[in-house]
Amino acid sequence: MRAPCKLLAAVIAAAWVSAPAPALAANVPSKPMPEATDDHLEQGRGVYFRRCSFCHGLLGDGEGPAAKYLDPRPRDFTLGTFKFRTTQSGELPTNEDLFRTVSRGLPGTAMQAFDNDLIKSGLSEDERWAVIGYIKTFAQEFDDPDLDPVATGKVIALPANRPPVTPETIAKGKEVFEKAKCWSCHGKLGRGDGNKEFRKDDWGFPIRIRNVTHPWKIKAGGEVEDIYMRFTSGISGTPMPSFIKSLNEEDRWYLAGYIKSLQHELTSHQALQVKAVTADLPESPDDDAWDAAEPMDMRLAGQVIAAPRWQNPSIEMVTVQALSNDTDISFRLTWDDPFKDIVHDEAREFDPIEIAKVGSFSSYVEANGMMPRALETFRDSIALQFAVKPTQGTKKPHFYRGSSSDQVHLWVWKADLDAAGERGTEEGNARGWKQPIKRQAEGGQQIAGQAKWDQGRWSVVMKRPLNTGDKNDVQFAKGLFTPMSVNAWDGSNGEHGLIMGLSTWHYVFIEAPTPVSVYVYSVLAFLVAGGLGIWLMRKAEKEETPAEVDA
Amino acid sequence: MKKLRLGSFFTVVLILLVVYALVKWGIPAVSREVTTLPFPLPVPGTLMFFYMVLTVVALFLFVTFSEEGLDDFLRPVKKLLRGGYSKIARAAVLLAVPVVVSWQVYEVVVPKVEVPSSLRIQHPSSNFPKSFEDKKNPIANPGEAQVTAFIEQAEANEIEFIPQVQEDVENWMNEVEPDHVLEFFAVEPVKKFLAQLESGSVDRETARAALLEKNLFEGRALYAMNCRACHGDSVAGDGPMADGFKLRPINFTDNGTIETIVEGYTFWRVTNGGPGLPTEATPWDSAMPEWKLSLTEEERWKIILAEYDLAQKTPRIPESH
Repeated sequence: MRAPCKLLAAVIAAAWVSAPAPALAANVPSKPMPEATDDHLEQGRGVYFRRCSFCHGLLGDGEGPAAKYLDPRPRDFTLGTFKFRTTQSGELPTNEDLFRTVSRGLPGTAMQAFDNDLIKSGLSEDERWAVIGYIKTFAQEFDDPDLDPVATGKVIALPANRPPVTPETIAKGKEVFEKAKCWSCHGKLGRGDGNKEFRKDDWGFPIRIRNVTHPWKIKAGGEVEDIYMRFTSGISGTPMPSFIKSLNEEDRWYLAGYIKSLQHELTSHQALQVKAVTADLPESPDDDAWDAAEPMDMRLAGQVIAAPRWQNPSIEMVTVQALSNDTDISFRLTWDDPFKDIVHDEAREFDPIEIAKVGSFSSYVEANGMMPRALETFRDSIALQFAVKPTQGTKKPHFYRGSSSDQVHLWVWKADLDAAGERGTEEGNARGWKQPIKRQAEGGQQIAGQAKWDQGRWSVVMKRPLNTGDKNDVQFAKGLFTPMSVNAWDGSNGEHGLIMGLSTWHYVFIEAPTPVSVYVYSVLAFLVAGGLGIWLMRKAEKEETPAEVDA
Repeated sequence: MKKLRLGSFFTVVLILLVVYALVKWGIPAVSREVTTLPFPLPVPGTLMFFYMVLTVVALFLFVTFSEEGLDDFLRPVKKLLRGGYSKIARAAVLLAVPVVVSWQVYEVVVPKVEVPSSLRIQHPSSNFPKSFEDKKNPIANPGEAQVTAFIEQAEANEIEFIPQVQEDVENWMNEVEPDHVLEFFAVEPVKKFLAQLESGSVDRETARAALLEKNLFEGRALYAMNCRACHGDSVAGDGPMADGFKLRPINFTDNGTIETIVEGYTFWRVTNGGPGLPTEATPWDSAMPEWKLSLTEEERWKIILAEYDLAQKTPRIPESH
């Protein structure tokens, strides 16, 4: 039995190595897992104690000191259930599967890459094998030879024939997506909005259905080979099934290519360039005028700067566009959110007073239990934040709500106000995060615009005059860089108040018409250079002598 | 040989092109070999300008060294200007040169949209209080009383842990029912200490080393709870939140970060965070919290101990005065 198994393992390893994606090559071990000796297990216990126990717990039960602040929670190794495998549904993972997860981590979770080729203070291959040997002692299943996926032939190989992804294979993959009803959970556009309510995993925690368009959140890898493995093996402990029986190998490969093609490519610029137009500015998020506006993706982090700290934000990217004419400026913000949350229950807001004390147990909000993360509880909301004073040199207010000496102007859109038919966006000011945003007086409220939620995506328009004359307002001028950032709240993720996602400073810049002098200088340069050329030509012709012509 | 000879004009053009290519692409390519960094080091624009000016000056000297040399150089130019190659070629050059010049002028004078850049000093000292300079990490250097207390606790098999790790330790105790609570410490100094406890003869240095391991254990737990989200599991500045910050969290494994500063400085940065920075360190872009608002001094020192340990670095020794 052993020899064919080894052969199979070698073939699988070879398949991984020969896979085109470079990301996959780095986490293939150079040698198979060493035999479990007492010394090796003791070495693994040492690695586990120093590097893993704070999340996964001294008992491997996923209950370490940091665990309750994390979503998704650290794996409970004692159950022998592992999500990311190259084995059939419900089977144990191979050693190489565990090696891959430890080596490259699970993006979008607290489990990071431990490959010391990637990270200096990571773990050597030897240490990784040792800790995997130790982790396997937590679940009895690994001791049972009948459950060994390699020995029992439960390992899934990549298809032998893996045609490159082309528009044709993507079209075929889309058909598979429809046929296999992937959209019933993942949404028609893959934004994870197919379900009307939360689903729960086997441990009773709410499942966030993957938005497959955000590659930075795809835990077990965003390459076509990785995606293929996910719906071939299924994801244990979650509603994600294995499609190994219902779809043939070819279809699964096409589907993987289609899913890959949905991944969003982030823009990298830090300044939003605003096109100046002559027409009236759009107030509707559906207006065709938006097609002409350059998008800028802003990445968000959880608000971890002050209590109540939050490290599980669900909005990690907001795309901003803007247009302006001579009098107004209009912004459109779009972001993915699988649930439309349009009610707000202030009575259920989290009181951070206890966790905000020096020496409190933790200043982070627990992922589950401290506050409701449920539908119909808190509103969805977004805010654009601007520096009020024009920047001098590089000096700006702090990106986290400014400071007592340097205030910021916030345009806060609230889904509940919008749904009630009121003005959706409120203007307010903040001088630091310690005090709540101070809403401006009714006369100061000047932001118009509409909002829409469709297929797991919010689009919100905020339109305002370029200049308002109010000293608490940001004033826009052509050719100036204005610092801009966003705060975002996903209500059904429990977010409200300072429990939110936020970006650091970006800029908004309104295009100024090119000064006439630029054209004058260019034409002058042309004339001078041209004139010089003709003068030299004349001079050369005059100097002409028969001898030189011969030469 | 004579057949292959290029005119002096074309030799000069060729040399200019070769020098440009060497500086533009050759040096960055070699830099990768020399530095073994995964990216090339480009030659700065001003340096490029100097190299090219030097080349032009050298070539000018070479060409104007003799009357014949200059004539030789100018011959193809004059021939072109006279229409000696063809009238069309002359017209094309006479038009192309002003177009290129005018385009260059346009590029220089047209207003560009460039994000205002900000130079940032990573380790500012303008407002670093002198009193922090000599601060020693009390957790890394436990006093005699603390060592004695630790030995007493160990002998009674009742180690006092910080509340944050207590639950996990208790769960482990209930499940494993060990002879001694310190048995989960899979590190040599504690194993040695436990062996000594059993034999009944504990030496203080072993106890001190074991106490340090206990402090490291607690520090790592506090780091995982408080700092990991940004600075990462492996203190490489790559935590799950890192991509959301324009000013990325510091990578402590990098040379030139925590090993170039004294412990007191690290403590000051952790204590006062971004808002405690002077303007030259762009405090408005820093997401570093003022940890004095959340963590006790002891917790901050424990975290610093664990941070240096995870990064495999040691702090700079304060200068004696």
